[in-house]
Amino acid sequence: MKFWNTALNLFLLGSAALESSAETTWGYTDATVSVQTKGAGVGAGLKEQIPDNKPLSKPISLGSSDSLKLTLTSQEGRTTKRAHQVFLLLTDPATGLDISYPFNVKDNGKSRLDLTQKDLPIQFLSLPEPVDARLLIGGFGNSRAYNNVAFRLSIDRSPDEPVPTAEVLRYGKLPEIHHIFKSDPTSPPVMITLAFVGMVLAALPLLAGVWLFLGANLNHLPTALKSAPVPHAVFLGSLISIEGVFFLYYTSWNLFQLLPAVAVAGTVAFISGSRALGEVQGRRLAGLR
Amino acid sequence: MRWCPSFLLFCFLAVVHALSSSGDRLLVVLEDATQKDLYSTFWGDLEARGYSLSFESPKNEKLSLFQHGEKAYDHVLILPPKSKGFGPSLNPKNILDFLNKDGNIILALSGKSTTPSAISSLLIELDLHLPTDRSSVVVDHFNYDTLSASDNHDVLLLQRPGPLRPDTKAFFGGEGILALPRAAPQTLGNNNPLLAPILRAPATAYSHNPKEEAFNAEDVGATGSQLAIVSSMQARNSARFTVLGSVESLEDKWFSATVKGLNDKKTQTANREFAKQLTSWTFKETGVLKVGKIEHHLADEPENLNPTIYRVKNETTFNIEISEYNQDKFVPFEVPSEDAVQLEFTMLSPFHRLTLTPSRRTENSTIYSTSFTVPDQHGIFSFRVNYKRPFFTNIEEKHEVTIRHFAHDEYPRSWRISGGWVWIAGLWSVIGGFLAFVVMWLYSEPSQPAVSKVKKAQ
Repeated sequence: MKFWNTALNLFLLGSAALESSAETTWGYTDATVSVQTKGAGVGAGLKEQIPDNKPLSKPISLGSSDSLKLTLTSQEGRTTKRAHQVFLLLTDPATGLDISYPFNVKDNGKSRLDLTQKDLPIQFLSLPEPVDARLLIGGFGNSRAYNNVAFRLSIDRSPDEPVPTAEVLRYGKLPEIHHIFKSDPTSPPVMITLAFVGMVLAALPLLAGVWLFLGANLNHLPTALKSAPVPHAVFLGSLISIEGVFFLYYTSWNLFQLLPAVAVAGTVAFISGSRALGEVQGRRLAGLR
Repeated sequence: MRWCPSFLLFCFLAVVHALSSSGDRLLVVLEDATQKDLYSTFWGDLEARGYSLSFESPKNEKLSLFQHGEKAYDHVLILPPKSKGFGPSLNPKNILDFLNKDGNIILALSGKSTTPSAISSLLIELDLHLPTDRSSVVVDHFNYDTLSASDNHDVLLLQRPGPLRPDTKAFFGGEGILALPRAAPQTLGNNNPLLAPILRAPATAYSHNPKEEAFNAEDVGATGSQLAIVSSMQARNSARFTVLGSVESLEDKWFSATVKGLNDKKTQTANREFAKQLTSWTFKETGVLKVGKIEHHLADEPENLNPTIYRVKNETTFNIEISEYNQDKFVPFEVPSEDAVQLEFTMLSPFHRLTLTPSRRTENSTIYSTSFTVPDQHGIFSFRVNYKRPFFTNIEEKHEVTIRHFAHDEYPRSWRISGGWVWIAGLWSVIGGFLAFVVMWLYSEPSQPAVSKVKKAQ
């Protein structure tokens, strides 16, 4: 009986102890953050006390040559104690990036952390907004771990320095490519073309006018048709039909349709032409030309 | 003919039972046969899905992943060994050979015991890295099971993972909380694009060797979400390799455990459902893509399929039929939102890279198509669909076609080109002038002064 009583007592004691320890939480005290610019004198940088459980109102700026120093003393409940996990967790709520940096913890709970931009992954260097710097303090057992924003850290880079990028292969959608076609050949404005066409075609009436001015006429046509009507008609007809065949070749015929047609028309022109020119020779011998 | 119906019935049964798209022979490498009962629900689930399980101890000298040069099993599930290693039949080379022959592997690790260095060197081959002491567990003081690990905080409670990226499909998502006791963390190297984490540790987690009392800041390699608890690699041949950090999460005990987070109510774990998703993905029951018909044709001649030659600036249409294997059948493949199946029209480098849009669905496939103008460059081109995405098997299709120039009679005629009218007019005016000259020469009477000149000369 006595044994059971003691056992029960022990159990109650134990559970009471458990309950009381379940209420303790991890925390910190004496937290300071300081930013020291390289080359600046001692005490020139910024130094701020982080109030317990409350974030700093202003973001802390970390330039490319600055080093950030963070010191704190971890506490379990009200007593300073070495915590198993003392981390500075940087998170970016917009992108979901996170990285944590463990503090150097001494046995009496004093912890310190040095951070420069070189320690940051390059993904953090290109963030436009300040990131949340949270303190994680926790350990094994029943005490509640601490996880709260201590300050906001803005990672400043001088605009002249390019932000390093990481080129890693990840399978995914690639940007679309649309072939850029060579531009189509263009013609000059139609008005200009028509003006030049007009100038070219004006050559014919001009030629006719000059001929008429020099006394060109068709006075021998009745004579020629009277003395040799068939050769003249056939000769002129074959010349016109040769040009007609060329026109057909230009619009629709191919070479094998053109060649026999030109051969026929050419032969006709040769034979009838020799007759017609004989008649012309007759007129010359008669002293008419 | 008597055997015919029974043969058909047999075939039917075989089809019904072969759930995975790549075979049902599953080797379970288990060193301690007494541990088999710890996972009885898990084995039962696998058998119910049609796998034939063979349990072998790695110490069995006859155990071999290959028989007559071919793989003797389709899938392998490796449980962490008690002893220092797995022996010669499961050395890293054999396991990689098995992967190269399209075998799928689940490798379970445990934070309870030190991982053998053979496993660690196998993982390094795949650019997966274990902590250097090989016996760390993931600890999280914010997301642990208060019922079973109130002191050690090494039973992680995690939400089921959503999609890895906005453009990937969530094969492992769902409701419920996962309990991962004593998980061995992995970190994924940056140089292997074939790796994909399935389940990552929360941002507040870190890895810790329970055998070491103190915690040194210098020892921390990776923390937070850089630690993967379940990670996967899909090889170029689409063979799958999954590393599960916590083998205990497959135990019967954790399939039906009740857990309680720091601020949550008591809930049942969803480990059983997650184990099903994990095994069905690794053993190719999900995320397997199949290409059906590939058709391309001139946009206005759909009846003339897959010509071998196109002309520059032709309007062309390309269709590809893709189906996705889901548990036991092919279903139409739907591209995850923000992702796209892309068609490249390439000669050395892509001239066009276009998004293929679903144009038609059949009972078990989706037909993706696009239309485009063939570039103004002649040569040997190819239609390429290179769809490599995390968790989907690879699609790599290449179909060559010749692109020719305009033929001589395919250019516009000269009178259609307004700039050419001047030359055409010049040509015909010369012809007209020639004919006029002939007539004039034949029939013109010389004007008087000319005649007198001629006479004087005579």
